Amino acid sequence: MTATAPAPPVAQGDAPKPALLELRAIDVFYGRIQALRSVSLDVADGEIVALIGSNGAGKTTTLHTISGLIHPSRGEIYLRGQRINTLGAERIARLGVGHSPEGRRLFQRMTVRENLEMGAYARRDREGMRDDYERVYTLFPRLRERHSQLAGSLSGGEQQMVAIGRALMSAPSVLLLDEPSLGLAPVLVDVIFEVIREINAKGTTILLIEQNARLALKNANRAYVLETGSISLSGPAEELLNSPAVQRAYLGV
Amino acid sequence: MTDLAVRSPVALLRRVTQPARSMGRRVEGRSVYLILTLTAAGLVLLGWFLPWFVGPFTAGTGFSPQDVVSSAPTGFATVLVYVMGASALIVVLSPLAELVARLRKMTLGVRVDQVRAIAGAAGLVAAVLVYVLVGVIREEPAFGVLSSTTITNSAVWLTMYGFGVALFAYGAKGLVLTRPNLAFAIAALPFGALLPLMFHQAPDFLLWAASSLAIYTLLALGLNVVVGFAGLLDLGYAAFFAIGAYACASLSSPIHGIHLPLWVLIFLGAAIAAIFGALLGAPTLRLRGDYLAIVTLGFGEIIPDLATNNVFNLTGGPNGLPGIDQPKIGPVDFGTSPQWYYWSIVAVTLISVLLLRNLQRARVGRAWVALREDEVAAAATGINTTTTKLLAFAIGASVSGLAGAFYGSMLTAISPDAFQFQVSIAVLSIIVLGGIGNITGVILGSFVLTFVIFWALPHAHEWSATFAHNFNVSAVGNINFPQYTYIIYGAALILMMLLRPGGLLPSRARRIELQTGVESESLAAVQGRA
Repeated sequence: MTATAPAPPVAQGDAPKPALLELRAIDVFYGRIQALRSVSLDVADGEIVALIGSNGAGKTTTLHTISGLIHPSRGEIYLRGQRINTLGAERIARLGVGHSPEGRRLFQRMTVRENLEMGAYARRDREGMRDDYERVYTLFPRLRERHSQLAGSLSGGEQQMVAIGRALMSAPSVLLLDEPSLGLAPVLVDVIFEVIREINAKGTTILLIEQNARLALKNANRAYVLETGSISLSGPAEELLNSPAVQRAYLGV
Repeated sequence: MTDLAVRSPVALLRRVTQPARSMGRRVEGRSVYLILTLTAAGLVLLGWFLPWFVGPFTAGTGFSPQDVVSSAPTGFATVLVYVMGASALIVVLSPLAELVARLRKMTLGVRVDQVRAIAGAAGLVAAVLVYVLVGVIREEPAFGVLSSTTITNSAVWLTMYGFGVALFAYGAKGLVLTRPNLAFAIAALPFGALLPLMFHQAPDFLLWAASSLAIYTLLALGLNVVVGFAGLLDLGYAAFFAIGAYACASLSSPIHGIHLPLWVLIFLGAAIAAIFGALLGAPTLRLRGDYLAIVTLGFGEIIPDLATNNVFNLTGGPNGLPGIDQPKIGPVDFGTSPQWYYWSIVAVTLISVLLLRNLQRARVGRAWVALREDEVAAAATGINTTTTKLLAFAIGASVSGLAGAFYGSMLTAISPDAFQFQVSIAVLSIIVLGGIGNITGVILGSFVLTFVIFWALPHAHEWSATFAHNFNVSAVGNINFPQYTYIIYGAALILMMLLRPGGLLPSRARRIELQTGVESESLAAVQGRA
């Protein structure tokens, strides 16, 4: 496995690209309760795609389904044309899906450095890993200062940096970010999103969940709106930002 | 320090035993330093007074260095005994001095450690000379009718070892603080290896030491993989011990006419136990914490019951399997010289420790920690949670298979009684006492628990009777110690949890958890199945 080669950032309005990640009519059940209803979405190479929606709409479930923590009862998921929805989470992670889960879920009693090492658990290429540590520490200079500190003792913002860094350490081709702004001070939110754009500019595709719809739409190329388990709207982020329906429901205008 | 007098003894004890606030190796180093200090004092005291307690009634009070001092002191040996006495006082009293100094927030000078190290060295030299004199110049008048086959021998060995530990702990304090595990190994390994020589006049004790100390150490090391490394609470661990023991007993006894040598059996026993470990692990993969504990508890009850009911005519029912082979290698017959069992098990334990340490530091060790910390995040970083958990169960069980192979051969017969719930609990107590997840701590825990609870308490009756006889205090002689074994055992565990919840030598993770508190959700919960 090698680190993803830097690809040029995608400008809005480009011709449709072949989908890197594609969900086709996904149904997910928790016991008898249906959480996702025929969710279809696609993420092209080099994009930032946002998935917005209110509490309980199924955003986190969608990400869990993509990374194989939950298996859909109907529908298919493709990564670069390969069907992955029947694979286990560890295989999907190795195929290049980096997941920074909801609530950060750090290994609290490991140091920052050890958390990053766990992110690279599936990798064997020492050189590429060394470059990626450097890359994460360059993106988040704070983490370099705190590399021997325990993850559980960091502030919320620093923990979010570790969570993103850990997901990056697997050299993913697509990075799933679950509520990166959750519980952070506004200043830190700006820092985190700046880094997210930077990661994307260096060639990593990003699928992002946010409750803060305005923030998500301002930073994404395209977006999907999830409502009680199904996609109600989709389109270029700018378009959704100006759409009256989205403004009413999610932007409080 | 005016409130010192009103402070309860428990509070005092807590203050002394609590780990410092800062984290890292230094804390563990301090624990090991404290433990070595107490061990040195304890061994010297035990060596000095052992003859009074263990000496048989009929042979009088036995010999103690104390006797030499109190009787008419003459000759070279007497000088040695005085040197030993002075050194012993320093070694025994210095921890107390340190305690007082710490409570009064004073620092003892740098020279203090040098003085104590010199005391240790002087005591060691004197004790060695005494031992040589006992063996070579038996006519030395100060020693009377001493002979090397009495309990005195053990007393001198213990004294020597105590002085040695003091010399090491105080002389190499820097090493103890920075490399606690290495320091512990240097201090404990010779004791583990020399035990049969120290007590060669007591074959019963040796057999006991081999069966309890060494086997419980092996069992605790195995359970530590499951509970400590991977964080899966297993209350039925004795089941794997039983499976290993029964499998090996069936293959080396007249029951089926199969007589495999012990060296083949330990591998077979380990393999069979590992298979059953994975078999039990498979249905419990989605379970954690309390739920997993209950399932394993059930498994731990089923296996001895199957053995009692003579399932498939394999287990011999309630009477178990008799006539298990005892190995012979050349002139060495394990049946008549139990020290060879002891040494074999110590060797196997050492190898297991090295292998388990490597596993802990290898990829799978990190995967176990990640699994224990956060199952969902572990799965998302590419760890195969299924195989990682099964591997923990299998490896943990395989170590108990090793113990099972030795156990049957040593006792020549096994029965379901030996694998009941109490065994699982005793092994769990050992790792909780020693420090969950820390191999050094687990070894220490098995030393302490098996010596104090399974050996000292059952023998306390004889000792107190001898003491009462020698000093004419009849009240002491009438205490029925065995009756109180489980009370003392339970009280010790409760005190331990209150004073040092991480165990004697807490693992780093455990220490941090106790200080900050960490919560973790299961993968099944995220999947909506739990």
